[in-house]
Amino acid sequence: MLQYTFRRTLAVLPTIICLIVICFFLMRLAPGGPFTSERPLPPAIMANVLERYGLDQPLHVQLWTYLKNIFFHFDFGPSFSQRDRDVNDIIAAGFPVTLTYGFWSAVFVLALGIPLGIIAALRQNSLWDYIMTGFAIFSQIFPNFVLAPLMVLTFTLAWGLLPGGGWNGGQWEYVIMPAVALGTSYLANVARITRSSLLEVLGAPYIRTARAKGLAERTILWRHALKPTLLPVISYMSPVFVYMITGSVFIDVFFSTGGIGQSFIDAAYTRDYSVILGLAILYSVLTFVLNLGVDLAYAAIDPKVRSGLK
Amino acid sequence: MTLLSVRDLTVKFKTRESSVTALDGISFDIARGERVGVVGESGAGKSITGFALMNLLSRPGYIDGGQILFEGQDVTKMTPKQVRAMRGNRMAMIFQDPMVTLNPVLTIGQQMIETLRAHRKLSKEEARQIALVKLKEVYIPSPEARLDQYPHELSGGMRQRIVIAIALLLDPQLIIADEPTTALDVTIQADIMDLLLEMCRSNMVGLMLITHDLGVVSQVTERTMVMYAGRIIESGRTRSIINDPQHPYTQGLINALPQQTPPGSRLKQIPGTMPTLSAMPQGCPFHPRCALATDECRAVMPPLTQYGEVQVACHEVQRLHRELAKMEAAQ
Repeated sequence: MLQYTFRRTLAVLPTIICLIVICFFLMRLAPGGPFTSERPLPPAIMANVLERYGLDQPLHVQLWTYLKNIFFHFDFGPSFSQRDRDVNDIIAAGFPVTLTYGFWSAVFVLALGIPLGIIAALRQNSLWDYIMTGFAIFSQIFPNFVLAPLMVLTFTLAWGLLPGGGWNGGQWEYVIMPAVALGTSYLANVARITRSSLLEVLGAPYIRTARAKGLAERTILWRHALKPTLLPVISYMSPVFVYMITGSVFIDVFFSTGGIGQSFIDAAYTRDYSVILGLAILYSVLTFVLNLGVDLAYAAIDPKVRSGLK
Repeated sequence: MTLLSVRDLTVKFKTRESSVTALDGISFDIARGERVGVVGESGAGKSITGFALMNLLSRPGYIDGGQILFEGQDVTKMTPKQVRAMRGNRMAMIFQDPMVTLNPVLTIGQQMIETLRAHRKLSKEEARQIALVKLKEVYIPSPEARLDQYPHELSGGMRQRIVIAIALLLDPQLIIADEPTTALDVTIQADIMDLLLEMCRSNMVGLMLITHDLGVVSQVTERTMVMYAGRIIESGRTRSIINDPQHPYTQGLINALPQQTPPGSRLKQIPGTMPTLSAMPQGCPFHPRCALATDECRAVMPPLTQYGEVQVACHEVQRLHRELAKMEAAQ
């Protein structure tokens, strides 16, 4: 398992270098640059500025310097649009915020979605099942950008229960709405997948065997059915974890939480090359780490996968 | 001594409109240590019978009437707790395909130990020792290592041996084996059957062997029941059923065996197919395929009647016996 993790980590390095190179050139292809504005700068000042940020160098030299700084100094360069801040600062400020509500959102999704799905499956075609299915449909037609304003209208403006935005160091009142708005549609999907997966597993021959052995229904559910039931949930969650972190752009903008989603938008508008690149790298590393985590979770549950890793 | 006594067992399946009858009032007995074969083509109700005995029918199937007396207790009237205490303990079941009947995420040891501990107060270590003994009994090589392996690491034949070992764990009185060799390689089928026979003989375990393989039935069982469309249509000593089948359907089955046909010529078969449960014909369910069918067969269901050592449900057989009796009386 450790060796597998190590191999996967090594394999991801070339991928990330490719990604940096592609992003690097794609960005330069986009019209405009970090210092173009309505009122052009005088050429002398422009030349000065370009020189300061190394933008006067040929592209391949810029790329080389950039890669060198990352791999030898772990320095993602200065921000082109925010004076005196570099990319490391911006990530250090925004990422913990995104990670915090992203984490609680995932907890919300799994801790509620899986039990809901299990209950719906065990009481198939009962009131619980219908409520769950209704909720799943409801959350599909209310994606986070509709749900978030509705929540603010209800909980902030009408009832005055929760703050309508801000972060305040991540106090729980400030985390709730971003986390719930971000997670609800995934929660419904998790519940739905858990339900159908459990129903399928309960019909499997090995569950019949477990019954024929005289095991109690409780034992059958927890010991025999739960693990195989979770497999499709885990594969569903693999990209969702990433969506949750990257899809937080809207949440950051709407709730003014100050996460990296906000920085991403700002950087894209101002052609802040280094910030865009830095965040793209962060997202790809995150994608890799989460996918690896999901694969390891898969292996932990399924012995067949586990023996495949050896 | 009777171990199992089934009377008028009726199983139905709920459909959207009403329900269909899968088992139509079947009755039979199994004595202690007796090996009984249940044969018939797919859909005849063989497996349903097995499931009903274990009270394992799942929706939409349900027991609609009759009784299943097992060691003097009626399975149909047991509480869920009593049913659990019986399953895997006094009455065990072996299923068809060992590739899917063992849980893929639990080790062989876990699946054996949990069975033991569900029925007896044993420590994990004690249960492990019993599991080891049983694995040795079914000739599993290096049993110690197997306990920590997962099903996917073992071959089909090995898995079915383990399934048999699990069934034997608590020394049951009756084992219901539902086509235990159908999913296996032909070369392994005989091994598994020999093993099952040996285990039942040496432990004095009753066996209900559900199969469509008449060869296996004649090797393993003492008595045979032939099922057709949810009914028992012939039952008796295996030897007499194989050598002297009475019911036209059983005769058809025996004649269809490849051994009954000279090499090179076409295999014999019974024309037509078994009626579906929802479209059961009037009278004898076999009459649309029977060359001997009369108007009586088309109108009235023949009852299962005792003739010497066999029971047959057929008007034609009844007529023959009546005439025989008349001739004897005339002499």
